[in-house]
Amino acid sequence: MRVAVVGKGGSGKTSVSGVLARSFARAGHNVVGLDCDTNPNLGLSLGVGDLETERLLSLRDQIDEGEQSHAHTWDDILQTYGTDAPDGVRLTVVNRIDNPEPD
Amino acid sequence: MLSSVPHTDTVIVADLEAGIGTLTRLPEQAVEHTLVIVEPTPRSIDVGKRAVQVATERAQGNITVVANKVADDEDNERVRSAFAEFKVVTVPTDPVVIKADRQGVSPVDIDAEAPAVAAIGKLVNLLG
Amino acid sequence: MIRIAFAGKGGSGKSSISGTFARLLARTDRPVLAVDSDPLPGMAYSLGIPVDDRPAPDDVVVEGPEGGPRWVLRPGLDAGGFIDQYAEAGPDGVRYLQFGNSWGHWSTLQRGQHAWSQVVKEMDPNAWNVVGDLPGGTRQAMFGWAKYADVLAIVAEPTPKSIQVAKRLRNITKADWSPDHVVVVANRVSGPEDVRRISDALERPVIGAVPDDPAVTAADKQAVAPLNGGAGPFVDAVAELVTQVESTYDLDIRSSD
Repeated sequence: MRVAVVGKGGSGKTSVSGVLARSFARAGHNVVGLDCDTNPNLGLSLGVGDLETERLLSLRDQIDEGEQSHAHTWDDILQTYGTDAPDGVRLTVVNRIDNPEPD
Repeated sequence: MLSSVPHTDTVIVADLEAGIGTLTRLPEQAVEHTLVIVEPTPRSIDVGKRAVQVATERAQGNITVVANKVADDEDNERVRSAFAEFKVVTVPTDPVVIKADRQGVSPVDIDAEAPAVAAIGKLVNLLG
Repeated sequence: MIRIAFAGKGGSGKSSISGTFARLLARTDRPVLAVDSDPLPGMAYSLGIPVDDRPAPDDVVVEGPEGGPRWVLRPGLDAGGFIDQYAEAGPDGVRYLQFGNSWGHWSTLQRGQHAWSQVVKEMDPNAWNVVGDLPGGTRQAMFGWAKYADVLAIVAEPTPKSIQVAKRLRNITKADWSPDHVVVVANRVSGPEDVRRISDALERPVIGAVPDDPAVTAADKQAVAPLNGGAGPFVDAVAELVTQVESTYDLDIRSSD
């Protein structure tokens, strides 16, 4: 099952995502938290701490800058760009960047 | 990427970018559920309505609205009346969430029984 | 004249601060143009303008020459004329230029954005003090939409999430078009230790500290401007920010370029 969480910045989107993922895991589900934000900080709300959240962020930046080769399969991505969060949740950050500049 | 996830029994919770940018670029039917998080302010409700419209147009599964940071009945009513035709789940304002935010930790790890944590936990049965 | 743009994490309070700042600056009898480049615009609320979707008509732009931008202002319409005709007049004499609301007219939004950036780029630098509100996060700011600003004010709350976004915005100084001054405004602080937490993390001058004011939350819920909602400590702090900016940058000197 895939759940997308959306909302205005500051609405508490990431807090809800983190608590929801942890709750699913505590109910016995296999859970992946997918951080699709350009400023990924789902790690904080999942409880992996700021150092690990920063590490994933710099990993993500390397993908953006092309220093890391792009992982292709779902399992590769989980493995390479992910980390383990409490209650067995697997957290991964997703590379996505686009340029809104008009010129 | 979401739409390329193999069909397994894994639950994937995708925290999209703030606003509706990512939602407009997701392929159709990329997810089974969309949770729209809304604060009881007109601006937040406005963004929520846009998100609902896009998620509906692009068939992003069942839509559930989460009224977040609700302080009183008036707040609750403001969100419910704006999304009358949708399921609305209320999450109360909770000092545990504010504290977690300031400390950079999960609300679950401060108090797993906190009112907001319990309210979000109810979504497990609702979505499952 | 000053051109200041406010940026920060979504929900950090940029719109409330920038709109209030624009009005208080206008009360010093200076011309103020408020520019909102958020496709989900929020500055109108805090300015007290009851309009949040007033895009310029499609025909303000025509297709541009080859090799240049795709859309340019139509012949005969310059930046000044565009502001005269399409910038909304708000309380305290502020004029408000909206980038284009993404609600309802996806296909035409891009034209409005081209018009917006051309106007901001080409307008007479001596005609207006410019107060900008950038969308939440780092994407738009980092991709050059803050080019017009001399001062980038990063709004940061005393939370790791907000500070993390602020740290990334600080990297804008590496761009060759970076605003000359990158400063920090601390928001929703409950005391000096919160301000210290933010300034220690960001290592940038903190030019304003805005307290957590329940009156702002209440005004938000009613969609009224903080200046119209009786918000006390918040408004006092933004007024102090205006004084701070007045004493740091000469707002009456006209730019030579």
